[in-house]
Amino acid sequence: MAQTLRDTSVAEIERRLDERRADEESTQRTSVLTHMAWVPKEWSRAVERVMEGLGARVPSRTLILHPDPEAKQDRLDAEIEQERFPGGARDVCAEIVDIWLRGAIAKAPASVVVPLHIADLPVFLRWRGRPPFGKRELEQLVDVSDRLIVDSAEWPRAAGDSKRLVALFDRIVVSDLAWARTLRFRAGLADLWPGIKEARSLRVVGPRAEALLLRGWLRSRLRRDYKLSHEPERSLKHVEVDGEPVAVPPLPVLSPSDLLSEQLEVYGRDKVYEAAVRAV
Amino acid sequence: MRENPLREGLHLPRTPDPCSLVIFGASGDLTQRKLFPAVYSLAMRNLLPERFAIVGVARSKETDAAFRSRMKEAVREFGRDPIQEKVWRRLAADMRYLSTDFADDGGADRLVDLLAKLDRECGTAGNRVFYFAVPPSAISILVDRLGHRRERWRGWTRLIIEKPFGSDRESARRLNEELNRFFEEREIFRIDHYLGKETVQNMLALRFANGIFEPIWNRQFVDHVEITVAESIGIEGRASFYEQAGAIRDVFQNHLLQLVALTAMEPPADFTAESVRNEKVKVLRSMRSPSRSNVVRGQYGPGFVEGKRVPGYRHEPGIARSSTTETFVAAKLLVDNWRWAGTPFYVRTGKRLAKRETTIAIQFQRAPHPPFAKEADEELQPNVLLIHVQPDEGVSLAIGAKVPGYGMTLRTVHMDFLYGGAFRVELPEAYERLILDCLLGDATLFTRADEVDEQWSLVDSIVAGWKRERADSPNYNAGTWGPAAADELMRRDGREWRRR
Repeated sequence: MAQTLRDTSVAEIERRLDERRADEESTQRTSVLTHMAWVPKEWSRAVERVMEGLGARVPSRTLILHPDPEAKQDRLDAEIEQERFPGGARDVCAEIVDIWLRGAIAKAPASVVVPLHIADLPVFLRWRGRPPFGKRELEQLVDVSDRLIVDSAEWPRAAGDSKRLVALFDRIVVSDLAWARTLRFRAGLADLWPGIKEARSLRVVGPRAEALLLRGWLRSRLRRDYKLSHEPERSLKHVEVDGEPVAVPPLPVLSPSDLLSEQLEVYGRDKVYEAAVRAV
Repeated sequence: MRENPLREGLHLPRTPDPCSLVIFGASGDLTQRKLFPAVYSLAMRNLLPERFAIVGVARSKETDAAFRSRMKEAVREFGRDPIQEKVWRRLAADMRYLSTDFADDGGADRLVDLLAKLDRECGTAGNRVFYFAVPPSAISILVDRLGHRRERWRGWTRLIIEKPFGSDRESARRLNEELNRFFEEREIFRIDHYLGKETVQNMLALRFANGIFEPIWNRQFVDHVEITVAESIGIEGRASFYEQAGAIRDVFQNHLLQLVALTAMEPPADFTAESVRNEKVKVLRSMRSPSRSNVVRGQYGPGFVEGKRVPGYRHEPGIARSSTTETFVAAKLLVDNWRWAGTPFYVRTGKRLAKRETTIAIQFQRAPHPPFAKEADEELQPNVLLIHVQPDEGVSLAIGAKVPGYGMTLRTVHMDFLYGGAFRVELPEAYERLILDCLLGDATLFTRADEVDEQWSLVDSIVAGWKRERADSPNYNAGTWGPAAADELMRRDGREWRRR
């Protein structure tokens, strides 16, 4: 059952987490990472859906940060929940801590999260919506995380913001769910080698971010330009090269939850992706 | 032409070439319990080639439709994935059954013709995998029939041969010669399903991806190694097979010696099939044939297993009352090389033991001079790195820790890593991994001819010793950890089997 803490402190959250750990006689906690999610209000419901079942696949401590900078009072509220999943001889346990950062604390999140990170394990930061490039909250959390996961399809201006994202590549490993969703089509485009070297145009039916990434990828890999025509759609449906449809291999289309869970298992830098973003 | 730059960084699941999979022994238990569920699980995960056909071959008469329906039932009963009609329909569409006993050329011709037809209809490109899920005695004739027709298909050919590969060194060599008359070693995949288990492969990751273990993985720091492959089940209706094989051919010759080789091998230069297998062969060659006093055999009598009364081996259906077939083997093995000289590997395997468990325990030397009062550390055990192959796949390390309180009392505690805890994905069945590897042409997890040869050489020397003495059967009760002589094997070295 969830424990609700109002006007609380980081020390109190830590104490409650420790208490719960002491209660778990038959439960095993095999955390593999600390997962943080920065969730502005408009993304709250989407996050709930993605979180469903995520703990079962990636046992972790998840800190869901709800910024509320407009609050009149500087205050922390929290809700602590544990999930248990069958794991052989003993259950596996994952922790989810929702933290509401009220008032000025929303601009200083690092001081709240660092004491709650599990020591020596990687910290993944999932940023919902457009990251506020150059703003304190993003800067602070980037400095205390190992990997930033964004979804550039959630940004209103994917092209312009990609350039600002590039500036983060030297500081943190970045992955983009929009890039992961293009995998099937990248595999299909790769099958067109070497003919694709001579192609001139690319037509993409899908989110603009994914269209830009596909073109950036072709530009960076093949060192030539492609004329992009784009037809907006909620998901990536169709790609053509010089008017010819691209056949895609039968790879599964992952749910948002599966997509995130897959990204939480990737630790290394994806240089091909970085080059694609640079070429957007 | 330069390499395709669009492939770089594209982490796609490996997909095999188009091919047909022919299963000899399609009416057998293995096909139903393991092979078809594995093939279906690969289909579920889109890991099979898009153009793929299956041909079941057996003596019994059956139509294609009846075969499909029987296999669907097998997947439902034994598979780890629920049947998805769409996936099954796709798999079943190119599934055929051929009834023949291969006693004459007619059966082989019909099979070759059927495969050629599937090439045309399903685009399987003349590539063939032949899975021999049949007793060793049936393999030769099948190989001969196929071999004489192999110019009738143009793609690649791979043969999967189930264990046991032969029944001794001579028969294994003979079988190898028969295979080599028509097929090259790179086309022969001798399967030992233990090598397809995740934890067995994790042994390589544990040893060669962690810098902390390599410096201490040798005779200077390891006191001894203990490997247990214990089964709580009996012979499960396999009387005629087991009477021929016994524990030494059923498990010791293959699974157990493979675990020894993986534990003792030197780091391979890379993870290619040849490098890994070269290192395993070196270990097997370095193993001294154990003296008679260093081998214990046993046979179970009646007893209780998991609270249930079970009969002794001689009272199992199909077993003679005077049978002396061993259902248990324990041995002290020595690997005579620079790394392991003088460090014993105690191994044991048996049926109807107290519980099902496969573990590799690396017991390290005690700390040379603990500066604590004697009574403070009397509870303290030496450090043990324990690899759980099954069940509860994982690794645990036993270390000494202070008992909380004012005094200084020490106790052994375990740091556990459970696969199922850290990686929340279902582990693929060993057969899935191995069938996929074969379709991809990757032989790393299959046994090479020279490995089998070395394994039989060791087993033959043990069996030769047994022939000179009368077996004391039965000599352990079902539901225990084997005969008292197995305990004695370690006790006389001042050691004892790990506490379960």
